[in-house]
Amino acid sequence: MTDRLRRAARRLAVSVRRVLRVARWESARASGGVDRRTLAAGVALLLVAGGVVGVGVATGVAGLDVDRDVYRVGVDAESPYADAIEAEPSLRAVPAGTSSLGDSADAVVVTVVRPGSVDDETVDAADVEDVIVRASDTRKGEAAAAAVREAVEAHNERLMRAEPNRTAAFPVTVTLRYVGRTTGFDDGATLGGSDGGSTGGSTDGSADGTGGDGSGDGGSDDESGVADGGTGDGESDGADAGGTDSGDGAAESDGSDGLLGVPSIGGAAFGADTVGSPGSITPPFPFTSLLLAFVFLVPMNFLIQAYGSSILDERTNRRGEPLLVTPLSPGEIVAGKTLPYAATAAVVTTLIAALVGGGALSVIAVAPVAAAFLGATFVGAMFARSFKELTFVTVGVSVLLTTYAFVPAIFTNVTPVALVSPLTLVVFDLQGEAVSAGEALFSTAPMAVGAALLFGLGLGVYREEDMFSQKPVTRKFLDALAVRLSPVSVGSGLLDRGLLRALGAVALLTACTIPFVFVAELLAVAVLFALPVTVSIPVLLVSIAFIEEVAKSIALYAGFERGVFGRTDGVDAGEGRGGDGGTLRVALAVGIASGTGFFVAEKVTAVVQAVGLTDLFLGRAAFADVAGLSGLPPLALAALFFAPLALHVATTSVASVGASRGRTAYAVALTLATLGHAAYNVGVVSLG
Amino acid sequence: MDSRLTIAGRELAGLRAEKTILLAIGIQLFIAAFSSFLVVGLVSMYDPGALDGAEIEVAAAGDAVDDLERAAGEVPGASVTPYDDPDAARSAFERNAADAVVVATRTESGRVSAAVTAPDSTVETTVIVVQLRELLRTYELNERDARASFLEESPLPLPDRGETSPYFAFTYTVLIPVLVFLPVFISGSLVVDSITEELDRGTMELLRVAPVTVGEIVDGKAAAAVGIAPAQALLWLLLLEANGTNVANVGPILALMTALTTLVVAVAVGIAAVAPDRRAAQLLYSVAVLVLFGGATAMAGGPANAVARLAIDSADATTGLLVVAYVGIAAAAYLGVRRVVAVEGFGR
Repeated sequence: MTDRLRRAARRLAVSVRRVLRVARWESARASGGVDRRTLAAGVALLLVAGGVVGVGVATGVAGLDVDRDVYRVGVDAESPYADAIEAEPSLRAVPAGTSSLGDSADAVVVTVVRPGSVDDETVDAADVEDVIVRASDTRKGEAAAAAVREAVEAHNERLMRAEPNRTAAFPVTVTLRYVGRTTGFDDGATLGGSDGGSTGGSTDGSADGTGGDGSGDGGSDDESGVADGGTGDGESDGADAGGTDSGDGAAESDGSDGLLGVPSIGGAAFGADTVGSPGSITPPFPFTSLLLAFVFLVPMNFLIQAYGSSILDERTNRRGEPLLVTPLSPGEIVAGKTLPYAATAAVVTTLIAALVGGGALSVIAVAPVAAAFLGATFVGAMFARSFKELTFVTVGVSVLLTTYAFVPAIFTNVTPVALVSPLTLVVFDLQGEAVSAGEALFSTAPMAVGAALLFGLGLGVYREEDMFSQKPVTRKFLDALAVRLSPVSVGSGLLDRGLLRALGAVALLTACTIPFVFVAELLAVAVLFALPVTVSIPVLLVSIAFIEEVAKSIALYAGFERGVFGRTDGVDAGEGRGGDGGTLRVALAVGIASGTGFFVAEKVTAVVQAVGLTDLFLGRAAFADVAGLSGLPPLALAALFFAPLALHVATTSVASVGASRGRTAYAVALTLATLGHAAYNVGVVSLG
Repeated sequence: MDSRLTIAGRELAGLRAEKTILLAIGIQLFIAAFSSFLVVGLVSMYDPGALDGAEIEVAAAGDAVDDLERAAGEVPGASVTPYDDPDAARSAFERNAADAVVVATRTESGRVSAAVTAPDSTVETTVIVVQLRELLRTYELNERDARASFLEESPLPLPDRGETSPYFAFTYTVLIPVLVFLPVFISGSLVVDSITEELDRGTMELLRVAPVTVGEIVDGKAAAAVGIAPAQALLWLLLLEANGTNVANVGPILALMTALTTLVVAVAVGIAAVAPDRRAAQLLYSVAVLVLFGGATAMAGGPANAVARLAIDSADATTGLLVVAYVGIAAAAYLGVRRVVAVEGFGR
């Protein structure tokens, strides 16, 4: 026993040494490729870019003004509205007298002056009785009119801020606080609040924060530390809150996260109080934290460019061949080549975390994202035929992963689905909110497993015949899948050990698709989240069915295409009939194996329930099989438990039979399987 | 001329054979679809006016509740139910009979203090808070009106609230510029790849043996890359047009983006000549494009803003001048780079 352990340890040590040697060589080569001049040029450019971005951040996101002067508004120079129009970047003032509506102006401001007012050059604001905005009868005109209204609102706000009489200028002070209902999360799922739910004790909300004595004690236990701004002496405090020129930033929330000194716009999300004039109320949108979380993703895009080049470099001019013939295993080579880039990612992430004020959680959360970036790029570089193809693959990887990481994080404070993205953890971390271990695991594990599987997929084709040949991406993909399968021949016996092992491999391969299915489904949920439920649910059910059917059958198709599974195409017509039956048997066997593998893996993902994802209606549709089963008789429960198994086995068998007969048949069978699966999904949702 | 066309044709044939152009268009479609989805999502989350029938129910109490009720009458999507005392209002909130509690009290300083309680971390919190802000701002305006005589500068009367789509500005100021400029970056990246790959595989040497000059090689590669960009942009603009988005000044937009593509391609050729290793070249190219485009966008009248104004039909003489200026800069940059590369050759 100890002997074996020792031998294993020695093997591991040798392996680690080899990996480190490759890593050293790779980093030497990587730095050799970039000479001093290019490095200096790059650094200079980066500094300029940093300056530009810095200026952009300093002037605020709106400082970029993509909408500058998009609407032309006719207004007289002496009208008091001219100032308001002038101050709004998206509006351009044109003289009202000469402009014609719809042609050279999109809207015209007409002021009605109070009769009897002094008739001099400029019109005083107090003399304006009414204002009418005539807009052209187009969508642009409507938008222009709305922009004029906003411009006037902003103008008034500026006027009032300069007003010495604070009480008259800002007559209302608002103290906003968030309170959890004791009745819980579920009942408020629709707007307008159903009247269901318990009428439980209302102790939580009424204990403090009554209007009279300000919010001082309310704030103390909500970590935002709003000490003043109550109403007793609110003479100046409340007004100043509205008077900061951020306009939309709740100035008081800086106690909770003072990031970069930017007034965190709703940065302290729930549980924090805000005080100020009504205009300074902001919905809990973690804007700054989100922006900073995005900074973590930026270096990844540069890193994968270099990494992809390095991998593809091995493949051009058979440069990687010497390494392949050494005693190093492909795994060791790839690990060694990846290590410098992974290390760079770790260092850069740590640096960014230190800069923006993130903690260890941020670094841990970004790690699987970096791994996924590298893994996807590795697969792309193994499949690509040329630099150009690699560029598009890299861009595709960047776009997909950035969306996947960033978009859910936008909804950080809104819905638990946001935890799908590890970046949500970063946002939480930057906001200083606690994250449970379960949440962290739910957020990072799928991506980490997915990255590992991607490396596994790419390693499958890290061999001579695939590395140095020019095959289309799809064929290499099928190769990479088929490598993981064991042969199943038409004639093999039913309980052959080899057959069982082969079927096990099929089941395992299908089970490995689960993280990707999970990611794809959640991406679908995130995308369709925006649509009205009547549209999103059916589309979601069909797309989920399609994703799952593809995941279950693509490996089988690869097996048949690469001849790992017996197919009778090439056999002569004499035994066509018998061979056909044999193929059918093989197709059914692998179909059943794949369906079972998927079912088992899917049950394992029941972990998602832990974070309450299934509380969400859409989540319930996505993970129909694990939700809301309590309160049913055991027999029905068992039937419900095994119904998905029957479904997966049946639909996969259909797809498998199609796959055994070529591409067209596979497409048709896949469509059939998807429809069947979708019908089942509809049944489950309407049942639940 | 003939040899340039041959080289350009070879470039395009390579793209077609690898179907990478389809991948490129797919990526662009994904970006477009997702940014639209994102905006729809954000708007429905954070701009409840776009949510049909988003109506919040506010439980109100305090001595200033009448004015609050009056303000609620002017705000669509918020209704106020008065309660006798704050505790009654809060228990209504606890019972889920109300989405939020507002306790409005007059203070001795002459102000109104509104203590607002909103639910914590539920899906609709944001919607509720946005609606509450609308309600309280209206309330503030009314109160301010009542005190207008104490103000030195009276606020301007607001024009009437109109109907407008929140997606309108986004389509013209973000979506169209993004779709128009994505092909620009892709073309530049293609040129970097094309040249570094030929150098790496040693095929550039073969090409040099053929009776073509380096200038002609550059021309051929640039022609292919510049040629496909306006085609893609036109495709997007036509797609938008088919979707009911009117895009004005298609010609000037294409001229502007072709000029930018030429400029970016010139930068790409220069970088590939200086840094023949793909890793370094692509890195430098990304940074250079970032700097160029970031800098240009941050300036007034940057290319993104110019495209937005052209597309929305708010262009004026300066926009036209800007297009001409970009064409001039691009031509000068390309000719300059071509000349230097023709003299120096690739890869030192």
